[in-house]
Amino acid sequence: MRVFNEIAVVTVICIKSIPQRFWASLSTVVAVGLVVTVLLAFLAMAAGFQQTLRGTGAKDMAILMRAGAQAELNSGVSRDQARLIEEAPGVLKGPDGKPLVSPELYVIVDAVKKSALPDDGNMKKAPKSNVTLRGLGPAGIAVRPGLKIVEGRRFTPGTNELMVGRALQKDFVGMNLGDTVKLGNASWVVVGVFELDGSVFESELWADTPVVQDLFHRQNVFQSIRARLTSPDALLALKDYAANDPQLKLDVTTEADYYAQQASRTSDLIQKLGWPLAIAMAFGALAGALNTMYSSVAARAQEIATLRCIGFSGTSSFLGTLAESLVLSLAGGILGALVTWAAFDGLTASTLSGTTFSQIVFTFRLTPAVALQGVILALIVGFVGGFFPAWRAARIPIVEAYGTP
Amino acid sequence: MSDLYLLWRNLFRRKLRTFLMMLAIFVAFVIYGVLGSINYAFEHGVDSVADNRLVVTNKITFIQPMPFAYVNKIAAVKGVKNVTYASWFGGYYQDPRNQIGTYAVDPESYMRVYRDDLRIDPEAHDTFIHDRTTMLVGEAVAKKYGWKAGDRIPLNSNIFTNKADGSHTWELTVAGIAYAAKEASNTNFILFQHENFNESKTFGKDTVGWITLETDSATVNDKVAAAIDDLFANSTAETNTQSEKAFGKAFLAQLGNIALIITLVVGAAFATILMIVGNTMVMAVRERTKEIAVLKTLGFPSWRIWRQVLGESVLLALLGGVPGLAVAALLVTLLAKGVSGAIPGLALTLPVTALGVGFMVLLGLITGFVPAWTALRLNIVTALGRL
Amino acid sequence: MTGQTLIHLQDVSKRFVKGKDTITIFDHLGLTIPVGDFVAVMGPSGSGKTTLLNLLGGIDQPTEGAITFDGARVDTLTEGQLARWRAHNVGFIFQFYNLMPTLSAARNVELPLLLTSFGRAERRRRVEAALSLVGLAERASHYPREMSGGQQQRVAIARALISDPKLLLCDEPTGDLDRATADEILAMLQLLNREMGKTIVMVTHDPEAAKYARRTLHLDKGRFTERDLVA
Repeated sequence: MRVFNEIAVVTVICIKSIPQRFWASLSTVVAVGLVVTVLLAFLAMAAGFQQTLRGTGAKDMAILMRAGAQAELNSGVSRDQARLIEEAPGVLKGPDGKPLVSPELYVIVDAVKKSALPDDGNMKKAPKSNVTLRGLGPAGIAVRPGLKIVEGRRFTPGTNELMVGRALQKDFVGMNLGDTVKLGNASWVVVGVFELDGSVFESELWADTPVVQDLFHRQNVFQSIRARLTSPDALLALKDYAANDPQLKLDVTTEADYYAQQASRTSDLIQKLGWPLAIAMAFGALAGALNTMYSSVAARAQEIATLRCIGFSGTSSFLGTLAESLVLSLAGGILGALVTWAAFDGLTASTLSGTTFSQIVFTFRLTPAVALQGVILALIVGFVGGFFPAWRAARIPIVEAYGTP
Repeated sequence: MSDLYLLWRNLFRRKLRTFLMMLAIFVAFVIYGVLGSINYAFEHGVDSVADNRLVVTNKITFIQPMPFAYVNKIAAVKGVKNVTYASWFGGYYQDPRNQIGTYAVDPESYMRVYRDDLRIDPEAHDTFIHDRTTMLVGEAVAKKYGWKAGDRIPLNSNIFTNKADGSHTWELTVAGIAYAAKEASNTNFILFQHENFNESKTFGKDTVGWITLETDSATVNDKVAAAIDDLFANSTAETNTQSEKAFGKAFLAQLGNIALIITLVVGAAFATILMIVGNTMVMAVRERTKEIAVLKTLGFPSWRIWRQVLGESVLLALLGGVPGLAVAALLVTLLAKGVSGAIPGLALTLPVTALGVGFMVLLGLITGFVPAWTALRLNIVTALGRL
Repeated sequence: MTGQTLIHLQDVSKRFVKGKDTITIFDHLGLTIPVGDFVAVMGPSGSGKTTLLNLLGGIDQPTEGAITFDGARVDTLTEGQLARWRAHNVGFIFQFYNLMPTLSAARNVELPLLLTSFGRAERRRRVEAALSLVGLAERASHYPREMSGGQQQRVAIARALISDPKLLLCDEPTGDLDRATADEILAMLQLLNREMGKTIVMVTHDPEAAKYARRTLHLDKGRFTERDLVA
């Protein structure tokens, strides 16, 4: 027990002495905090992006595209193929007895991000971004049970009416209820705003398939078929069915898998940018921590030597000094997490997804797991930054106690 | 001995501390150098593009095709010199993940418009123009897969179907390698004949993805662009004509606000060292209060001591920052090779370097300011404890 | 000794404000030091010895009164002018030597020459001469931490002499040294006074040290209690 008492005494002395080096200690805390903020901002971006895409896929929703197409944009599916899928096994039927199958059109159109709008508000000069315009079949809404119309109503089939995803509406110019949107040379009216579990679909524009086909000269062709399955296991039956029909040269996956694969690519990239940057910066912060701690040990040299003289062990000086460093870096880590939370959590951003080739709007998410990674990085900096000075503290010769001031 | 010697001795009085400061500054300038170069490439990479080149795309979006007939109509517009066109093929080799930017082009006009950007062996050039089944392979692609002239390569499309056999594969012979005429240009591409493409695909016949043209001079760009867009106004496929530069910039902007992200990260890195170095300089100067008082007693004027302290912090910033920029230059060179020209013009350029050195001096002045001020105002009598 | 006046203090007062109180160190003090004098100033702590030295050396200014050096007013100079004046006219020797720990002996001695326009060769010649004068030519490249107290003080003397000042001010120059070393240093100061004609003012606690001087002034509560006449 004596050892613990010793350590406790030295630790208290060390930590109580922090205010004596207020500015040096503060600079370490802030430096560590900045490093953690940079790391967490990137990780929160990656987590937010991943959450958006992960939230998109339902496990009991099959997506069928032309074999090898990889993405809806590249795919082409015929009306006949869509009909064959309606008869496929494993496909859930709606209350009206019709199969829940939606052949969908995928067109990319231009829109202007609010952040890209020039100061003079001139839309013509603003750089444009790719946005998905999805043509939905008659069952398009029925296959997506999570859909919530939060403003207005559904589009009326056969008209130039649009439904706008919530995320898109927030991030882009002129997408509010009642606004007229010009896509190509046709004008559309926004009649509804929808939410769908914070998924990628909320970054899309939805309209009636025949109207989109007509205005974009895409008669009789679709990009994908969405089919609601009786259960996630029914995917196999559907796959077999497609494989056995030479007319159905289609790739069959669940929507969950399709979007998860996209999610990992981009969020991997973001993490691959964030970690090296944070680690490089951590070396800078480490330099600061080492300096602060060495000066702390130098300032307390006589104190430590006096304790050693009384009979305290070198170990207690070592651990006490290390504790001081860890306290400072922990404060930095928490500061960084709080700053990230205040400045970035909930912030929306959008980027061009490589596979969908259109903008995906996502929200930064500082999850506890992400925040923990930042705090761990801070503690590593604190540990290394405290270790060497602590080593020096443990080896201060006892004669220093008599040293001249 | 000179003031510089004094300054040097003071700077390295505590070697470990100075080394740690230099490390922190070094890291910050490596980050600045690399990110600054990327940012510069994004902002100015398209600057090397000829000023008088315009791109015509479908107004809906640039991936929507236009009727082939537009090519000749555009060629007839006043002020238009050379016209060429291209279509996106969605090419990959063997595995769908091995994507290659593959363009179906009209060889003769394409070579004319891009004469200053590409360097092609005359023989390869001739083969490519005359043999419909050939392709020109960018240097980066040729290196990656080890292709050389004469190789027959099955190239896949993730969009189109080959009429000949219903597959997604086109077999093409390598006519030769296309090199970048300008440094750090993207050579991760394949060019093949549009005629071949048009006749063998199952859908989207007689359309082109985009049309590129040269105007008589950059001054008529706006007029020509307006004339072209007017020409197709209210047709089934309206057009959007803009300079190739603007087109490139708009595309990069779609990735997100890269400049903002970079500014924030570099800002955080600089703020970190500002804290650390500034504080340490204060500490370092406080430690030698008495020595400064002695110098003053000896008759050193205040401004000279002030200059010494500021010189010390500026020198420290330069000693950490210059190697940082040097390492950044190396990393950027490696990175430019690694992404095989996907970020054209990626290099540690003179403006980025000059700004970096400016930041070093600024950092030195800011971190040295408080301690220098303390030194300047130091009262000899109190500092020497002689009351 | 020529009898010519080097320093003259006329009605010099020095007061400090400390909190609410005003502390008077000197009240209309007068002092004349001729060229070639060697004055020891003795007195209890707080008698104003150090303040007197500060005033003489131009590192502190009187509240009232006039100080003339070589016929010119010193107390009216600005801080920058004072710095230049010190560089040319005064050499300081401190109790704790106050050498720069980062510089070798030679470089410490050279330090005041940075304030002159001498070339490199001239500076080296002077540094060598000054170090030989104090008997440390062999130790030129040593750092202060590698030298004894006496050696360090000799380096400090060489530094004080290097710019050939008329006045040397010594603040307890032997306060940190043992008797034998102290005698060595004091003999050296005496030599500088006798052979080279340096005017020296030395503050000391040590009556033995005072014996090396030509005269001793006793300071108590800001007044000279006894006045030894010029020898």
